[in-house]
Amino acid sequence: MDSDEEDFVFYGTPIEREEEITTRKKKALAQAGGHLRTLPAWKQEVTDEEGRRRFHGAFTGGFSAGYYNTVGSKEGWTPQSFTSSRKNRAEVKEQSIFNFLDEDEKAEMEGRSLGTSMQFDTFGFTASELARKQAEKEQEKRPSAIPGPVPDEIVVPATESIGVKLLMKMGWRRGRAIKDSNTNSLSDIRREARKAFLSFAADDAEGQTTGAEMVEGETEYSANLPTNDDTDQFTSSTPVYVINPKRDSYGLGFDPFKHAPEFREKKRSRTSGAKERKLQKPLSLGESLFGFKSGRLAPGFGTGALEDLDVEDEDVYAPGYDFEDSYVEEIEEPSKPMIENVKKLPKTKDGVLTGFKAASISDYQLERFDPPVIPKEFVPYHKFTAPLDVGSKFYEAGPPEAIPPDDNNLKILIDGMATLVARCGKLFEDLSREKNQSNPLFAFLFGGDGHDYYARKLWEERQKRTDQNKQHLDAKLFQNAEKMTAESRGKILGEKPLERSIRDSATSAGSAEAVNLQYNLSDTFTKPASLSELPEAVRPFQDDPAKQERFEQFLKEKYRGGLRSKDAGGASKMSEAARARERLEFEAAAESLEKGKSGKGSNTPSQLFTDILSASGLQFTTGLSEPAKVIQDEELVKAKNYPKREEFQWRPSPILCKRFDLVDPYMGQPPPAPRHKSKMDTLIFMPDTVVSSKVEENMPLDGNSQTGSKDKGKVDIVEEEIEVDVEVEKIERPVDLYKAIFSDDSDDDEENSNPKQVEDPEKKTAAASTTLNRLIAGDFLESLGKELGLEVPPDLPYSDNKDKGKSTLKETKTSGKEEKETLRVGNVRSATDYAVSGNSMAPEMAETTQFREHFMQGDGRVKEPPMEITLALNEKNATGTSDRNGKKGKYEEVAGEDKKRHQSWSTDSSQDEKRRKHSRHRRRSTSSDDDDSSDDYRDRHHSRSKEKRKRSSREKSSTRRRSKHHKHRDRESPGRHSRHGSSRREHRETKDRRKYKD
Amino acid sequence: MSGGDLPTKEVNVLKGHEGAVLAARFNANGEYCLSCGKDRTIRLWNPHRGIHIKTYKSHGREVRDVHVTSDNSKLCSCGGDRQIFYWDVATGRVIRKFRGHDSEVNAVKFNDYSTVVVSAGYDQSLRAWDCRSHSTEPIQIIDTFLDSVMSVCLTKTEIIAGSVDGTVRTFDIRLGREISDDLGHPVNCISLSNDGNCVLASCLDSTLRLLDRTSGELLQEYKGHTCKSFKMDCCLTNSDAHVTGGSEDGFVYFWDLVDASVVSSFRAHTSVGFLPFLGPSPAPHKISQARKAKVPLLDWGLF
Repeated sequence: MDSDEEDFVFYGTPIEREEEITTRKKKALAQAGGHLRTLPAWKQEVTDEEGRRRFHGAFTGGFSAGYYNTVGSKEGWTPQSFTSSRKNRAEVKEQSIFNFLDEDEKAEMEGRSLGTSMQFDTFGFTASELARKQAEKEQEKRPSAIPGPVPDEIVVPATESIGVKLLMKMGWRRGRAIKDSNTNSLSDIRREARKAFLSFAADDAEGQTTGAEMVEGETEYSANLPTNDDTDQFTSSTPVYVINPKRDSYGLGFDPFKHAPEFREKKRSRTSGAKERKLQKPLSLGESLFGFKSGRLAPGFGTGALEDLDVEDEDVYAPGYDFEDSYVEEIEEPSKPMIENVKKLPKTKDGVLTGFKAASISDYQLERFDPPVIPKEFVPYHKFTAPLDVGSKFYEAGPPEAIPPDDNNLKILIDGMATLVARCGKLFEDLSREKNQSNPLFAFLFGGDGHDYYARKLWEERQKRTDQNKQHLDAKLFQNAEKMTAESRGKILGEKPLERSIRDSATSAGSAEAVNLQYNLSDTFTKPASLSELPEAVRPFQDDPAKQERFEQFLKEKYRGGLRSKDAGGASKMSEAARARERLEFEAAAESLEKGKSGKGSNTPSQLFTDILSASGLQFTTGLSEPAKVIQDEELVKAKNYPKREEFQWRPSPILCKRFDLVDPYMGQPPPAPRHKSKMDTLIFMPDTVVSSKVEENMPLDGNSQTGSKDKGKVDIVEEEIEVDVEVEKIERPVDLYKAIFSDDSDDDEENSNPKQVEDPEKKTAAASTTLNRLIAGDFLESLGKELGLEVPPDLPYSDNKDKGKSTLKETKTSGKEEKETLRVGNVRSATDYAVSGNSMAPEMAETTQFREHFMQGDGRVKEPPMEITLALNEKNATGTSDRNGKKGKYEEVAGEDKKRHQSWSTDSSQDEKRRKHSRHRRRSTSSDDDDSSDDYRDRHHSRSKEKRKRSSREKSSTRRRSKHHKHRDRESPGRHSRHGSSRREHRETKDRRKYKD
Repeated sequence: MSGGDLPTKEVNVLKGHEGAVLAARFNANGEYCLSCGKDRTIRLWNPHRGIHIKTYKSHGREVRDVHVTSDNSKLCSCGGDRQIFYWDVATGRVIRKFRGHDSEVNAVKFNDYSTVVVSAGYDQSLRAWDCRSHSTEPIQIIDTFLDSVMSVCLTKTEIIAGSVDGTVRTFDIRLGREISDDLGHPVNCISLSNDGNCVLASCLDSTLRLLDRTSGELLQEYKGHTCKSFKMDCCLTNSDAHVTGGSEDGFVYFWDLVDASVVSSFRAHTSVGFLPFLGPSPAPHKISQARKAKVPLLDWGLF
């Protein structure tokens, strides 16, 4: 074989043997593996078995693996199914060749679309197109000095249409009109005729002269005409210029003269003026053909409609050589003087449009005013110098020197008076003059004894004062000029800086330096708006800003009408009685204010005071000093108030404790949040509002600890620990747990029975399922028996069930001991527990009605027996700590709201924290609006109450169960507390309390 | 009391940052110094010799605070990119990024064992991050603050943080209690005294307030500087004899701890803008030197 093979000559490429293919495959695989190992994921390349690249990048068709090497559609080669029914006729698809073409083929087809063949290409479109394509190809071949396609667009390859070619062949040449010969012959004929006519009247000399003139005119005309025609013909014969070339820098289709055609005319006359100065014909002809819309306006600068086109506007950079013009000019007499052009320019400069003439009198005159003279003592912010007339008197010449009166007393009096008047202004003088009309001592005021001296003294004083003021002002001015920060500017403008509370702003006002300076009254304006709202005269509680604020709030609400919310601000700290008293006071003050407004009587002493002050012009000084005092007081108060210490419970996460190498203070207590929170829980027992209600409970505690002395803190700690324990007992029992316990026998029935109960609670007893009845009856009997002091054997299978449940419940901290304990619980029940269950196991009828009542009442001010256990406890806590704060009412409200909610409280710290946060927020925002908040709470509650009613039966049963669980917990807790000995005592306490309560 | 141990002259100017410096911190023994700033870098210096040792780049935005473990092996930093970076000092690599803050992170600190990073964020929360595990989830979120948390300090058992809501809150891990001291003014920096009994809070009313930690009493107020809109650092000197704080006009002030008089103040920076202030140098013998070094360090932190 080998020898044979050597003789053969092989053509073509041999078919690869399979082994080779497999090796390649192997290689590819190996390579891929290597890639996989070494390269990062985004660099790895996917290949198929053949080693070909499988996936293509996003820019080359995306993740086209599925389409690759196929028809290019998702379906691939699968035939389309054809369905057609009578109702739903299949559309007859018009098939065209494009249906069978690939994208690239289609693109090619476009190139071969119908066009004029070269032979009949009269206007040269196809030719130009072809030429362009050719040029493009060439362009591709040779590298251009100018990169990009730009030269292509600018330089259009020269093409000649077949028409031009024909014309050329017929002897036409560029720049000549086609009609040339025709018109020439016509004019020749005319000329002949004219000549003949002239020969007729040759003998008349005058006529000859006129005739000669005529001839001249004619010749001129005829000379003009062809040139004109020539240009027209020339342009129309060249395809490039058939369409109006776009020669401006406007956007495509933009016509700057759209709404002002006169300007277009003007423009036209200007642009074509240069070349058509001789042709006085209307420009429309040339225009329609040339369509020069733009002149040589500089690009990039729009011309307004009223703007005149000027020499300056002409584009300096425009190509100076306009070949179109040049043609014309060639043919026309180039010797034509440029005078006309020169003439035109000044005309355009006048800016007179055609159809307008320049007005002889222009009323547009620039009037220039000198800037206002800033007075010397101008200070760039508001000021009230107490003597308002200081400035005006400053430059007055003083009265002549006067001899002081002999009487020393009088001299002192006059001096004092002068000082006062100088300080307080003319008003004061008038006032005292009025007052002391009959007083001989003040005769100097009326031009009597010592008047001269008084006048002199007064002048001196004023002089002194103005000097002083000026100095101050200067200093101030300088200071201002030196640094005008945003804050100071804001202060000047009376802007209130964004600060957290009014208190802060008050201090900022207080910190304003130079409180004593009278003109620094701008401070008054930096006060919060609420203060500045009322004029100085109507502030009956000036001495107590907080009170004043409340008063203003009161006024505002009073005049605004509507529901009056409780006093905001500090009022929350006041007792009910104090608040009431204050309200009365406000009422009275408001009334008196009203009166004062209508009449002239001023009722409150403070008002009287302010009246007098305003009369004597002193108001500013006092108005200033008083706030200053107030501010000081406030500072003091603040110093007392701050820093405020509050303490809260906070639960560090176990891992944090671990990382800090500390023992978790909450170790052993149920872990937070994710524990057992079933959907049912949130649905039924954990409405969001409960969260906030809990907080209210915490609040009084916090309030107490605010004072923050050490032993107080300890007490708080103890209290809170108690609370913690209580909470532990209040841990919610997840419903599904109950389900797990009871599901075997009663669940379904319960579910079934519920709707019925909802529908008709009155008939509920009759309709109740037997299992439920049995359970309830058993419990009821039990509790009843206990109450009566009888021994009733426990319902054994039932308790078994419970124990089972208990063990699951206790999963987290199961210990044998506890197990035992719980077992014991099943059998031995304390009196309290029975009582508890007894309460909740009230006959069904009563229960339902109670529930109904409860939910109807909304927030449950009336406390029903079944919800007393935890409530009582909480109350106890609360009464112990919170009575003083006057929060009790509210607390009880909330506490009484729903027992189940209380029960569902958890010790979960994160939740606690959240609540606390909530409460704090609430306290900040609506702090004093106890009613308000509870109101809306009620609202929310109502909105839910319907739903609640529906659920009531289910709830009831679960309540019962839960109360049972309570027992267990109670029982259990000692066991747990044996580990945490410290809190055992407290726990006992709570237990005792519970007993006591029951 | 005469201020003899207070810095008087500029030792070194550490130049290199390409933007404002937002914080500068000494390491545990005062040998090294870290600075971070708007140029998104953290720089490690030897302030005594004025040498730039290393630059840590990875932050996407400005770096607002940095802290180093007591063994100098790890860094943590935080900033405008809402993340806390946990760095290896030697290699300059980011070991972990803790994400979770909803907003910029203002301050960050290691605990004593360098096992936990506690960060204070503009999102009104404190978050504790575990450095031991590989989890990047916070192990604790404290969100009782009502406004941005500006500064955080850690003791062995407590987390102390100051917030713009005007409170300094102490979270006692051992007791499971939160103590909130409301100062009535936004707090932008807190610092513990070296004996751990007092906390110094820089408030935005241009006042430093010294609080007794056990009782919450206000012990002293230090005024004279300007601090109205920017975060200015403050601290006590190593001997707890003086209080020091930066001022927005570029001055550094020293007050006597007890009688609150300004003992010394000098212009540390040419700029009018605010400048951060360096933490204290923990090594007692180094204090003056460290102080001196600190001052010029901030000199290019212009705004």
